[in-house]
Amino acid sequence: MTLHKSLASAIALAVLIPGAALAHHGWSSYDAEKTLTVTGPLIDVAWRNPHGEAKIKHAGKTWDVILAPVARMEARGLTEAMITNGKPVKLEGYPRKDGVAEMRIERVTVDGKTVELR
Amino acid sequence: MEALAVALEASPLGVWARGSNLAYPVANLIHLLGLVMLIGGIGVLDLRLAGAFRRLPVEALWRYLLPMGVAGLVLLVPAGLVLFAADASSLVVSTVFRWKVALIVLALANAGAYHLLWRKRLGRWDVDPPLGGRIMAAGSLSLWLLVAGLGRWIAYA
Repeated sequence: MTLHKSLASAIALAVLIPGAALAHHGWSSYDAEKTLTVTGPLIDVAWRNPHGEAKIKHAGKTWDVILAPVARMEARGLTEAMITNGKPVKLEGYPRKDGVAEMRIERVTVDGKTVELR
Repeated sequence: MEALAVALEASPLGVWARGSNLAYPVANLIHLLGLVMLIGGIGVLDLRLAGAFRRLPVEALWRYLLPMGVAGLVLLVPAGLVLFAADASSLVVSTVFRWKVALIVLALANAGAYHLLWRKRLGRWDVDPPLGGRIMAAGSLSLWLLVAGLGRWIAYA
């Protein structure tokens, strides 16, 4: 199998397999020209490394929300207790360029406090 | 194998690798340090064995660079295990990760075969390097660089 094909199948696998949380990282996969602002309750929050994750409902879809590494979030003043499941938040971030319902978060506003994640 | 990965991800090691503030970033640093030592040691030795830097004596380079490469591997493996444990169930089905592991096995087999086939010829390498040994050395360097590249690629695929 060529490297090209294996990379293509890796992407296909990551999209097809539920819970495969590897198909991101880096800012280059996201469209910084299209800022998304989503307000609502967070679902399935995972306070974890290499970066925090959650889901949120937006425009009829459930979006994967890509947060920052745990140490960075805490350094910026965002704690695990602030973004529990069901907590209403405002997220500003960028959608993936390839159309997958996933956004990388630039800033979070929760309890009236705005935290920059980049 | 996938059940094993799920178990590892749920194990205390996996929980710690994800949950601790420092475990993942520090494991990342150690993994990178090990990679630098591996490529810096084995990679330079491979270049010499393949035919570059002909003024440098092969036996002396072998003696000093091989242990550095092995030390690099000793750092890479446990640090890699921590990184793997954090996301084992996703990684084990990742094609890029599977290729990486396959190429690691191939690179290690190549290194083992190198010892068996060429170790005794090293003394004469400076005057008469065997073609097979030079090709295997170039293959070794290529394999380790591919392994490193695939490792980095996992996060973007």
